[in-house]
Amino acid sequence: MSVVTKAFLRYLRRRRSLSLLQLLGIACGVAAAVGMALSARASLASFETAVEFIGGRATHSLERPAGPLAETVLSRIIADPAVLAFSPVIDRRILLATGETVRLLGIDPLLDRAVRPQLAHPGTPAASPAPERFAFLLEENTVLVDEQLAAQSRLHSGGFLETSRGRMRIVGTFPNASGEPLILMDISHSQRLFELGGMIDRVDLIVDDEAGFLARWKSGFRIQSGQQRRATLRDMLGAFRLNLQALSLLALFVGVFLVYNTAMFTVVSRMKDAGILRSLGAGRREIVAAFLSEILLFGACGGILGGLAGFLLSRFLSGLVAGTISNLYFFLRPAALEWDWSVLLVSVGLGCGASILGGIFPLVELVRADPVQAIRGRTAVRGAHGRAARAALAGAGVLAVSAALFWLARIHVYFGFAGSFALLIGVSLTTGLALVFCHPPLKRLLAFLAGLPGKVAAGNIRRNLGRSAVAVAAFMVAISMSIGLSSMIGSFRQSLIWWMGTQLRADLFVGKVGGAEVPESFYREMQTIPGLAGFDRYRNVQALYRGTTITLCAVDAAVLQKFTNFGWLAGGNENWEPVKNGTVIVSESFSRRFRLRAGDTVTLDGVDGPATLTITAIYYDYTSEHGVVMMDRSTYLRVFNDRTITTLGVFIDPGNPQRQALLEEVSERAIRRGLPVFTRDQLRGDILAVFDSTFAVTRSMQVLSIVVAFFGIAGALMTLFIERQREFGIYRALGFSSRQVAAMTLLEGLGMGMVSFLMSIGVGTALAWVLIRVINLRSFNWTIFFHPAWEPYAVAFAIAVLASLGAAAYPIWKVYKTYPQMQIREE
Amino acid sequence: MPAKIHVQDLWKEYERTEQLDSAALRGVNLEIQGGEIIALYGQSGSGKTTLLNIIAGLDRPTRGRVSVDGKDLGSLGERGKTDLRRRRLGFVFQFFNLLPTLTAFENVYLSLELAGRSDREPAFAALASVGLRTKANRYPHELSGGEQQRVAIARAMVKEPAIILADEPTGNLDLRTGEQVLDLLTGRCREHGTTLLMATHSPLTCRVSDRILRMVDGIVVEEPATGEMPS
Amino acid sequence: MKKVSLCGYCLAACFLLLAAAPASAQWKQAAGPYPWKFPRDHGSHPAYRTEWWYFTGNLSANAGARYGYQLTFFRQGIRYKPPAPAGPWDIRDVYLGHFAVSDIAGKTFRYAERISRTGPGLAGAGEENLDVRLLDWTARMQSGTIALQARDKGMALDLTLLPRKPLVFHGRNGLSRKGPQEGQASYYTSFTHLETTGFLATPANGRVAVSGRSWFDHEFGSNQLAAGQTGWDWFSLALSDGREVMLYFLRRSDGSVEPASAGTLVEPDGKTRHLSRAEITVTALEHWKSPASNGRYPSRWAVRIPAAGIDLTIAASLADQELITKGSTGVTYWEGAVAGRGTSGNRSVTCEGYAELTGYAGSLGGLF
Repeated sequence: MSVVTKAFLRYLRRRRSLSLLQLLGIACGVAAAVGMALSARASLASFETAVEFIGGRATHSLERPAGPLAETVLSRIIADPAVLAFSPVIDRRILLATGETVRLLGIDPLLDRAVRPQLAHPGTPAASPAPERFAFLLEENTVLVDEQLAAQSRLHSGGFLETSRGRMRIVGTFPNASGEPLILMDISHSQRLFELGGMIDRVDLIVDDEAGFLARWKSGFRIQSGQQRRATLRDMLGAFRLNLQALSLLALFVGVFLVYNTAMFTVVSRMKDAGILRSLGAGRREIVAAFLSEILLFGACGGILGGLAGFLLSRFLSGLVAGTISNLYFFLRPAALEWDWSVLLVSVGLGCGASILGGIFPLVELVRADPVQAIRGRTAVRGAHGRAARAALAGAGVLAVSAALFWLARIHVYFGFAGSFALLIGVSLTTGLALVFCHPPLKRLLAFLAGLPGKVAAGNIRRNLGRSAVAVAAFMVAISMSIGLSSMIGSFRQSLIWWMGTQLRADLFVGKVGGAEVPESFYREMQTIPGLAGFDRYRNVQALYRGTTITLCAVDAAVLQKFTNFGWLAGGNENWEPVKNGTVIVSESFSRRFRLRAGDTVTLDGVDGPATLTITAIYYDYTSEHGVVMMDRSTYLRVFNDRTITTLGVFIDPGNPQRQALLEEVSERAIRRGLPVFTRDQLRGDILAVFDSTFAVTRSMQVLSIVVAFFGIAGALMTLFIERQREFGIYRALGFSSRQVAAMTLLEGLGMGMVSFLMSIGVGTALAWVLIRVINLRSFNWTIFFHPAWEPYAVAFAIAVLASLGAAAYPIWKVYKTYPQMQIREE
Repeated sequence: MPAKIHVQDLWKEYERTEQLDSAALRGVNLEIQGGEIIALYGQSGSGKTTLLNIIAGLDRPTRGRVSVDGKDLGSLGERGKTDLRRRRLGFVFQFFNLLPTLTAFENVYLSLELAGRSDREPAFAALASVGLRTKANRYPHELSGGEQQRVAIARAMVKEPAIILADEPTGNLDLRTGEQVLDLLTGRCREHGTTLLMATHSPLTCRVSDRILRMVDGIVVEEPATGEMPS
Repeated sequence: MKKVSLCGYCLAACFLLLAAAPASAQWKQAAGPYPWKFPRDHGSHPAYRTEWWYFTGNLSANAGARYGYQLTFFRQGIRYKPPAPAGPWDIRDVYLGHFAVSDIAGKTFRYAERISRTGPGLAGAGEENLDVRLLDWTARMQSGTIALQARDKGMALDLTLLPRKPLVFHGRNGLSRKGPQEGQASYYTSFTHLETTGFLATPANGRVAVSGRSWFDHEFGSNQLAAGQTGWDWFSLALSDGREVMLYFLRRSDGSVEPASAGTLVEPDGKTRHLSRAEITVTALEHWKSPASNGRYPSRWAVRIPAAGIDLTIAASLADQELITKGSTGVTYWEGAVAGRGTSGNRSVTCEGYAELTGYAGSLGGLF
């Protein structure tokens, strides 16, 4: 190693505490980005595994556009020359006594083993010949339970599984790689269990001549290849995944900022050395090499640390991400990602890349610096004002670009994300100028707080603009994100509460979306109870529209017209009139996604071929970002011939004196049938709980970015402190007490925190607006109504104060420890 | 013997907004022969440092010609100037400017390494010649001011440069130490026939030099080389 | 007869629990004379527990390439009556099938297997005529002609089979004994000479027109393989002088041959003669060891029936015609085309046919 490089690297040891802070800062930035990316990857990988496991070797699946299909279709499938193997499936959910909803696959093991050889297939000689297993084929209510579920619920072969549809005898367990808890039942028994006489949900197929097959089955069926199925599911996650990526990027963004911070400090503290070296005849190359090796060492070490931390973090985040996906889309068991050395490689790359990115401008400055001035250590101060003005000008340019990007977001939401980043970068660039403008009031404030030390502290912030501006910018970005995300989430929550008030107005809800269905016989039973004002036989089913999975809803339009008050984009409850006669209403997300308005038509694949339905109105909705098409049950039956009821909404007149008794009666009868019942408040509470857990990932990223920024501001203070040790000698000579110097240090932190907070008020609000009006609108296609709230700002203020005070803690400790010995002398 | 340093009609003008305390050069002419020991005497702010920096190739003149060791700096380019500093020029500063993270030995060896020599012995020899062989492994902050300046002299001398530029070499030392350091510096230069150009505002320095150039408001005036105190 | 045992094994392996089920007492036993009526009795006899329709044949393509095929349907009764309310998916019978094609010239042997419940039109057999189907494998008789169709794993078969000799009733008027005890028997009939035309497809050769002859066995009963029997050898041979011979030997664990083993000789005019164990000698001359199962199968035999003047040496047309049927019956056995020459009634003859060899790859007895 050359002595020049050595001269630089020795600083790391010499200034251990600063080095440690900088290292931790980089590590945190990398950890946040890696943790987020890894957990996103883990969730998606486990999702692919699950889909592949359940799909088995099937190349295609055949189903009705909505609801089950008659099993007579099998004769046609047998005769189809392209079909090599097939397996009819009943794919339902069942509520366990434990409250868990579990997927139950009804299969014919004899047929299914050609499609899913990986599943246990009792009744065939290849499976265990234990007689117990043949009970699976022959005895009612016998099931196989997957090993994980069995272990988790302490179930074993020979034991019983209590479900809402009765007690099941467990005749065996099987390995299940899908991650989703799974119960297998013979098709004969599951058909009876779900009252599906003559019907099946789907046929999984192995097909060799795809084109020929599709041509023969094009009308009245939904046929998807395994690839399409996976793509459809993946597509469902599209917006969600994009948001995860944006969060990872954000973490990285803050991380790079921090590394820039670090590199900047490095440059400043090496400036004089660089000058000396130049005068001794060191070329630019040696200086660059020495500087690069220093920041790369930082980057690599921080990367390794961050990679390890990120991996650990991902194990925590994966659970959150999987939970969110399970809540919103489909069941996903969080799969812990295996350790992979490439994680370390990527982390080191990230750390080094960010270091280089962050170090490039400081490096240019270092190389271009006039050695003469550098030796005197003057560049950091001189011309800072002018530079701040120039940076602010560039910032204004970036902000203009950001505005343009927001406008372009109507093309793709990526532009919106890019615009957000541009907004943050643009504002960051103006930090220097903001500090200059803030100087007089800040000086007054700090002087008011602590007198002379406060005045000096304000002066220090301004004098070391190059450093303080970057620290303030990093902190400002983190706090702004915090404000923006909190405001967005808060507004979203309020909008959701409003929406629930418009739509969820039944007194009782029997059944659960994503859970087991409500038998039609239960509805008929309810009709016999006198005094109930109305029923909404709600059916929620996923269907394909123009290749996208959308949600189809069947409702009792007349009942909803009477009892609910939908949030219409235009018009009022008279919108239901034409719906009763066969038109549909669509959610805002559907209307935006497919650019359809009232008066346009949608063509859906029904059992008898395509059915064209007119859209009469659009309503606000937050249930599906992919769009909802809602129609009256009569229309639904005509087009899809599916009698399934997902949930039954029961309405009771508010004035009915028997109200309470009726509520109890309905609940009791539902419970007797093993159906889940929710009161309006319970359902709304559940939805809000799901909503809140959905943003757990976002919140954890929020915390992370603040931690990262904390290290940024702590590092900045530390550097300022170290660089001014010489000045401390002067302060001491002038008669400043330790207390006063400590106060000065504290106030410098506080001052920077305050400026960060002040800037973040504006930036955070702008960001909230962007998240609501651009990002959410473009990625989820729904309008969130902005609900201003003071809490995010209060929290941000507290964070700013506490973090800046916390960041000052170590320097203050140092002051108390070393100040009394300080001399006016050269280092 | 060709002139080691040749400066002709050298001008340096600063923008008003910056560098207010650095004086301009307003047509400097001077000629220094090999082995000469010169004192560049002048008040603080008279332009001494600027002149030294331009001669070292660290700063650019606004106009005029400088040739050092037979090379015209104006046509030398950055690489050439760096090379010149590495091999032919030594620098001694008022504030010593040792690298704080390197030991005394490493500070000296650094100079050799930059000149492309990996032999460690001359570095030890140079330290020994300034009487600091035993303190080779100390860091600058563990040395006194005089010792630091002696390390700086060793650092400048170790690569056997043709010219040493010294900017107030005693400016930050007490009188006695200053005298010792000055004796050391001039003695070593005479021994090796090294040209020495010292910027100074102390008459002490003038006493040990062959020639005194007085600098006033950016112009150099030759003083009679009598060894008597400039007024 | 051989197939009784095969299905008996299948029953044992797959649905052992039923042996203890009291419902099994309801199955009819093959005992006493049967009131035959055709075409009705080509169809299914659900009152009996096991039943199979067994087609084998030796075919030639126009180019002269020789093929052998086997298409077998088994019906295995699982319970005499499923508990009410029964739907189409409830299991009463399970149908199993094996389909194999031997490409003699190409030296390749392929086979496929299937199993299915009756289900909503998945498998079944008519009770009025030969009309068996297992997914898209079918065997149907219409106006006295049998049509076979099957397709799997790149193989396909589409054949028309025309009886050239009257139906043969094995044993005593179709009651074929397979053990010493009462009820250890099945009703067993055959078309021993079916003129066959149609198409055969293999992955290597594609679809080719073929012609030749086939043999159809139909057997039903309710009993199981007798204890102590380890396997059996079965042969169906068509001689060039117009005679056909069916032989079966039940091997016992002590190395002896079950005395109830027997055969049937069909003369060119369709007259049949029962051959008792004592009238037949079959000696294995060579063996082949299966690399897949490690089973050691006889592959060349000397067959002598002195009373009929028959003295033949036959050999497997292809060494490897072994079926490992993990996915259906669970039995590993060898069933394939054989050919040979020798004398029949003092005249030189050639012969071809099929042999079935079970119990060589792992003792069947061990599974009982």
